[in-house]
Amino acid sequence: MDNFFMALQLMGIGLATVFSVLLLIIFLGNVLIKLINKYAPEEEAPKSNAFSAAPNPVDANVAQAISMAISKITNGKSKADKIERI
Amino acid sequence: MGEILEKIYGMTALGNFVDNPSYLIMILLAFFLLYLGIKKEYEPLLLVPIAFGVLIANFPGGGMGVLAVNSVGEIFRISNEFLNNGLDSGFQVLSFVEGTEEMKEGFVQLGKLWYDPALEGNAILQDANLVNHIEVYDIWKMPLHDIAHEFGIMNYIYYALIKSGLLPPIIFMGVGALTDFGPMLRNLKLAIFGAGAQFGIFAVLIVASQCGFDMKEAGSLAIIGGADGPTAIFTTLKLAPAMLGPIAIAAYSYMALVPVIVPLVVKLTCSEKELKINMKEQDKLYPNKQEFKNMRVLKILFPITVTTIVAIIVPDAVSLVGMLMFGNLIKEIGNNTSRLFNAASNGIMNAATIFLGLSVGATMTVDAFLNLKTIGIVAGGFCAFGFSIFGGIMLVKIMNLFSKKKINPLIGATGLSAVPMASRVANDIALKYDSRNHVLNYCMSSNVAGVIGSAVAAGILISFLG
Repeated sequence: MDNFFMALQLMGIGLATVFSVLLLIIFLGNVLIKLINKYAPEEEAPKSNAFSAAPNPVDANVAQAISMAISKITNGKSKADKIERI
Repeated sequence: MGEILEKIYGMTALGNFVDNPSYLIMILLAFFLLYLGIKKEYEPLLLVPIAFGVLIANFPGGGMGVLAVNSVGEIFRISNEFLNNGLDSGFQVLSFVEGTEEMKEGFVQLGKLWYDPALEGNAILQDANLVNHIEVYDIWKMPLHDIAHEFGIMNYIYYALIKSGLLPPIIFMGVGALTDFGPMLRNLKLAIFGAGAQFGIFAVLIVASQCGFDMKEAGSLAIIGGADGPTAIFTTLKLAPAMLGPIAIAAYSYMALVPVIVPLVVKLTCSEKELKINMKEQDKLYPNKQEFKNMRVLKILFPITVTTIVAIIVPDAVSLVGMLMFGNLIKEIGNNTSRLFNAASNGIMNAATIFLGLSVGATMTVDAFLNLKTIGIVAGGFCAFGFSIFGGIMLVKIMNLFSKKKINPLIGATGLSAVPMASRVANDIALKYDSRNHVLNYCMSSNVAGVIGSAVAAGILISFLG
């Protein structure tokens, strides 16, 4: 019976701790997001033409078609950074 | 001719199989696990090494099994000298038992040795001088090279890499390097379901404590509900090392069976209407106002923040969560630490997985596995797993009662670890009910949070019961 109450107690402490840790992570995650948005907004991406920089340049129309196809298939979640002839 | 055949027979393991057919049960179990890993492709990266470890550990005379020790690390062995003398003086030794305290049931104590009087071979144990010929090894204090010399290479690997607690955190580092916290950060609120799904751990802790397991054993059994192999191994090593084999097998087997268990629990607890809740439509109705102006920096700062929080609140979980976050940090930093990332996610992770799998499999010897406790572990582990999924689903249902923005209960179901398989399975279930309802990214949030949640739960069990 002692074990039962100890296990019950551990359930209370355990679940409360797990919830507290994850709530704290959520809270601090939100604080981080706000701080980063305010003090470290996105760095300027280096302007380079990945397609033309490739060792074997691909025709711009072909590159655009491939990019559009990838974008359509993945619902805009992915993009082609670099296309090379092999 | 007959004598030669008899010698050949004595040289092989055939005689041992005839004397103790339970070896065959273990070998068949190994074949079954190999089948699941190779043919059914259930977690093959882990199940194949574990199954092969079981196989090579259960060939009598092979010396590849990890020896069962008692709670203070003692192994008892009859000296070879006595065995040889015994043979010379006409005793026929068919088998003997290296006793552990856990073997008490049905066994008889002679000196420090426990033996089974029903075994014919134990006739030798009736010799009054036996006690003087029992060698006692305190394996926890033995130098590693002595372990290798006395008990073989598999025991060396086990005590150097597993019992020392080295490999589970190393594997966590690799898992961290392979984990993307992006989906979790984009849906940060959903991370709370990673806590709801730890319910199974504590529910089974209560049940197991009333079913003949002591508190340490109950804690080790309950952690299976975290659905995280390295966490289960790490916790068991700290609380009940004698149960490592069956617990690791149960944990990895149930992780491999996520595609069966998650749909089963979801079917029993969720309505079709709930499963059709489309998260993207909910996002459109109640948009998230959070902006992400620099995800890269956020992803770098996040692991550092989580490690700090966990280290302060649950120090016992730091070895797991800290390594998980370190692996993730070297991934997110990018080019400057790409070599470390490659090492953590490929070379180190793969080598660790091989050694972990083989040596955990090798703990599943006949003595350690074929007993009533193992059946309890298999049944209790399944309940822990099911209750965890149930806990996550129930938390979603409760939140849906109070919130305008409805959440698909599948996101609660993936609050247990088993990343990313649980999320993939949940996504498949959602698509079955609505072909446009892709919930993968949402599920990944609670799924990744579940890894942190189960490690925290393990830390709590270790700090209270260890």
